[in-house]
Amino acid sequence: MSALDENVGVAPADPTEQVPEPAAVSVGLDRRRLLIGLGLAVVVLVVGLQIPSIVTSQYYQGILVSGAILGIMALGIGFLAHRCGLISLGHTAFYGGAAYLVAIASTHWGWSPDLAALLGFVGGTVLAVGVGALTVRVPGMSFVMLTLAFGQAAYQLVILDSVRSVTGAFDGLNVTFKGSETFLGMSQADLGTSSSVWPMVWVSVIVVAVILWLIGRSRFGTLLEGIRENEERARFSGYNTYLPRLAAFAISGAAASLAGVLFAMSSSFVSPDTLSFTTAGNALIATIVGGLATLVGPLVGAVLYIYGQNKFASGNLNLYTGIAVIVVLAILPGGIVGSLTRYGRAGLTRLRRRKP
Amino acid sequence: VNLAQVLNGISLGALLMIVSSGLAMIYGLRGVMNFAHGALYMIGAYTAFAVTTKTSFWFALIVAPLVLAVLGAVLELGVFRRVERRSPIEVALIAFGIALIIERLVVLIWGSNTKPVPAPGALSGTVSFLGTSYPSYRLTVIGITLLVAASLVIWLLRSRTGLYIRAASHDTETSAVLGVNVDRTSLIVVCLGAALAGLAGTLAAPFVSASPGMDTAILINTLIVVVVGGLGSIWGAMVIGMVLGLLQIMGNVWLPSVSTLVPYALLIAVLLFRPQGLAGTRLQ
Repeated sequence: MSALDENVGVAPADPTEQVPEPAAVSVGLDRRRLLIGLGLAVVVLVVGLQIPSIVTSQYYQGILVSGAILGIMALGIGFLAHRCGLISLGHTAFYGGAAYLVAIASTHWGWSPDLAALLGFVGGTVLAVGVGALTVRVPGMSFVMLTLAFGQAAYQLVILDSVRSVTGAFDGLNVTFKGSETFLGMSQADLGTSSSVWPMVWVSVIVVAVILWLIGRSRFGTLLEGIRENEERARFSGYNTYLPRLAAFAISGAAASLAGVLFAMSSSFVSPDTLSFTTAGNALIATIVGGLATLVGPLVGAVLYIYGQNKFASGNLNLYTGIAVIVVLAILPGGIVGSLTRYGRAGLTRLRRRKP
Repeated sequence: VNLAQVLNGISLGALLMIVSSGLAMIYGLRGVMNFAHGALYMIGAYTAFAVTTKTSFWFALIVAPLVLAVLGAVLELGVFRRVERRSPIEVALIAFGIALIIERLVVLIWGSNTKPVPAPGALSGTVSFLGTSYPSYRLTVIGITLLVAASLVIWLLRSRTGLYIRAASHDTETSAVLGVNVDRTSLIVVCLGAALAGLAGTLAAPFVSASPGMDTAILINTLIVVVVGGLGSIWGAMVIGMVLGLLQIMGNVWLPSVSTLVPYALLIAVLLFRPQGLAGTRLQ
């Protein structure tokens, strides 16, 4: 079976195992598990907020900020892949689209940063609804290709000569704050500083992760998995199989849009790179290398990817990315986090058996 | 649209045709969307550059496909055959990883500058064709690609191996049960597909020049051709390859500002009405 189904056969986590939230795909969400999950989220949130005082190097802070932003998009892609079995190469359209909307609204239309950000997020999500409405019916490899086509169409659209005055084509576009304008109370200089933008990014990561977790564990998430496993049977059982998948696509697109807004705000600059084939491939690679059947996998993959990107800035990044993809797919099915969870669980089971 | 533009469309279409038919054959047999196909084409172009600077372009025309056929064998035996039980998307990503590696290796070996490959001296001028003067090299390219495409069609239709290939792309399991050696057939197909990509890369080198990034450009167009033509359909890929080449040139002439969007518009339009592609019957 594929990595998508990696954890399906695993028994529901025993609450005493201390690995409550992401991996097991058991159905439903009882009160205890909900409390454990939310409690864990709060702990992770609070601990994460301390990171700038622990990791004091600006270099690593920058990596963490970029990694977390890519991670939000990767969470969205992973959600769609894991819950619906739909692999998207087109989320760059929502990510880059939202980022461009922020830049265009703030630079050309003189909107305030808050409004521009709202427009970016809503615009990216609406785009996701539109693309999803056309694509989620299409199965398998054709879906991959269709989403790729929409993403690449967005890229080609932005670099057209005829829209150079709006998007700046290959030159990109700045995000402009007039005078003392702020985004959620932060000046442009603060947004550009990793340590001060970190709380905003980290809170977003946790909020997105918790929302996706709750959705995945709800009845709706169960329905999505039912449709993924056998669409025909779900339809025979009286479920509408189109709208749930469209909703899942929109949710995952909304995560990518949020990431796009955060990217535009923290880097103050948007370039066609945000929409490129490579970005699409890399976001998917980060998701899969991290492990898309787990909640934290895409985040881990994204941070690793950004770390690699900075480490091998000389240009060998693609070489190592390529090797990493092959190695992970060949020997660590389920990605890094997926495999660790599996080995960890196997180890625990063995330990327990050994006890008298 | 004048004749020269139509001929440009045909030469582009003919190249897409032979690259795409290789990709479609590999997909048909292995069920692998070979995201490394563009990289194979790029290796073809760089091999042409390397060989042409040492000896002659004509020699490159023979060497590049051979080199690529060997690489194809490595790919099939070393990668595809080992992961054949994995999900198609995982294999596609492995191929994508291979493409990333090849892209970088090419830059490490040849540098990131564009490498011009001169057309052979005898063909560097223009000839008058039906009253239009046209670069003779491009006419030669049209001639060679159409010849290759025609031989491929005849071989697929008339030879026993061709029969096996068609049978196996139609239904791999049943053909295996009926005695087709699928492993051997797919080795032939992957070698041939890679060799065709190498040939196309060589032929394209004198007018596009070998440059890093040429792989993504052709890969996306090829993927579009194969999906629009119908996954795994060799005929679909051939026809749509030519159609897309012509459409792109028409787009350049009539809608120059948005011509780059033409392939995507075609893909989206076709897939929304026929998710299985024009000639395809399979969905997955």
